[in-house]
Amino acid sequence: MGSSSGDLRYELSQNAYIKLVLHSLNHPTSAVNGVLIGRISPSNDAVLIDDAVPLFHSHLGLLPQLEISLMLIEEYFSAKGLNIVGYFHANERSDDYELGGVAKNIGDHICRYFPQAAILLLDNKKLEALKKSKDRSAVTQLYVRDASKNWKLVHSEGNNRFSLREPSANLMLLDYIASEKWQGIVDFDDHLDDISKDWLNPGLFN
Amino acid sequence: MVTKTEENQLNRLESQVDNGGSGAWEYLCLVRKLKLRRSDKVLKHGLSILNNPSKRSALGPEEWTLYEQVAVAAMDCQSLDVAKDCIKVLQKKFPDSKRVGRLEALLLEAKGSWELAEKAYSSLLEDNPLDQTIHKRRVAMAKAQGNIPGAIEWLNKYLEIFMADHDAWRELGEIYVSLQMYKQAAFCYEELILSQPTVPLYHLAYADVLYTLGGLENLQTAKKYYTSTIDLTGGKNTRALFGVCLCTSAIAQITKGKSKEEKEGAQVQSLAAKVLEKDYKQRAPDKLPQLTTALKSLTLSS
Repeated sequence: MGSSSGDLRYELSQNAYIKLVLHSLNHPTSAVNGVLIGRISPSNDAVLIDDAVPLFHSHLGLLPQLEISLMLIEEYFSAKGLNIVGYFHANERSDDYELGGVAKNIGDHICRYFPQAAILLLDNKKLEALKKSKDRSAVTQLYVRDASKNWKLVHSEGNNRFSLREPSANLMLLDYIASEKWQGIVDFDDHLDDISKDWLNPGLFN
Repeated sequence: MVTKTEENQLNRLESQVDNGGSGAWEYLCLVRKLKLRRSDKVLKHGLSILNNPSKRSALGPEEWTLYEQVAVAAMDCQSLDVAKDCIKVLQKKFPDSKRVGRLEALLLEAKGSWELAEKAYSSLLEDNPLDQTIHKRRVAMAKAQGNIPGAIEWLNKYLEIFMADHDAWRELGEIYVSLQMYKQAAFCYEELILSQPTVPLYHLAYADVLYTLGGLENLQTAKKYYTSTIDLTGGKNTRALFGVCLCTSAIAQITKGKSKEEKEGAQVQSLAAKVLEKDYKQRAPDKLPQLTTALKSLTLSS
């Protein structure tokens, strides 16, 4: 893990991507968040985001549920050789593009265990425009920490810094949205309210 | 607050109606009674009644209530033309009505015409200065425009007049949490617990906020409120059980075994841990290994 965040690429798998966007659509009137699961690539030049776990849709700024969820999620995925490599956030208002204090704090916390962690912020305008735009890039913005540990937006047009692993990911996403697959998404909030609900969402991509 | 029975009834009706069954009117009444935000479904099923002349006339005088309900739902889904049509019908039936006036102002809000909406609300308030709904719209408008400090100011002003409005205290508490202003959030939950001491959700929220604030005293108080939540919910609240474990562990890290209370604390924690493990074994067995490891790490550090 020799490269600093300044050089690393970030690659988002379809499953992680769709899960996170569907989660936000399931709770259109609140802010939501989630964690990104993955690993460093064998060539050491990229963070590969293989999966995601949707976390909460209320009281995002409270610690107890965050600590429990991170413990349980970390425990589950480390057995598979994967780590928590980042954080996803969708703001409450559709025109809010600010990376707020809660998101930055959680991002900082994750960086303590995985220094190259990234934050993905949902871009609502891009999501809304997706049906017509046929854009292949993700409807999320990427933030990484600079040398002074401040979160900075990464511009990835024209370079390779942030990409979707599967080029048809947006088509899949639109398909899932059309069939209202966001209705069944289980997040950690749902799990804590009823532990029989599975935050792994096993039936989602079958 | 919605009871478990009401929730089950709602879910049953909702899936029934969604799958083409009957009971749309019953569903819409329940949503209205429980003050839920199911705007896409209200719009869909409400319109199916309103667009059907025989169903509509079968409602009798309730027809107008449905127009109002569908208008608001339409605005929430940004179907502004539908909303406009509903409001027109109501304007015709009830000219000079303050209630319809509120809907008109709400439509201005939905369009994003903030200044016009503010003017409309101000003039409505002149005639009825104690209209709670309009005061709350001011808060909502501030929030929608991203003016959170303004929303907080309006909400505090509102609560000075209507200090028994529990929903308002909850809203204020949530706004403070989203801004990481935990001390202020704690105050809101204290007000709620004072006025409704047997509602476990307030104890739980208060405990969560205190834990987030941190520090020995807050952690000890948080633990007390997690315990009271467990009491009030008959030991069934997963969050409170976890909360007790987290608190005990965090307290132990600060006091490092110098306090006598810790022996008792460890007992409560191991009880909570046992209840959690039993529950997971029964209802989420594939998640049990991670739970056991997590609980072990919490008890080891205490």
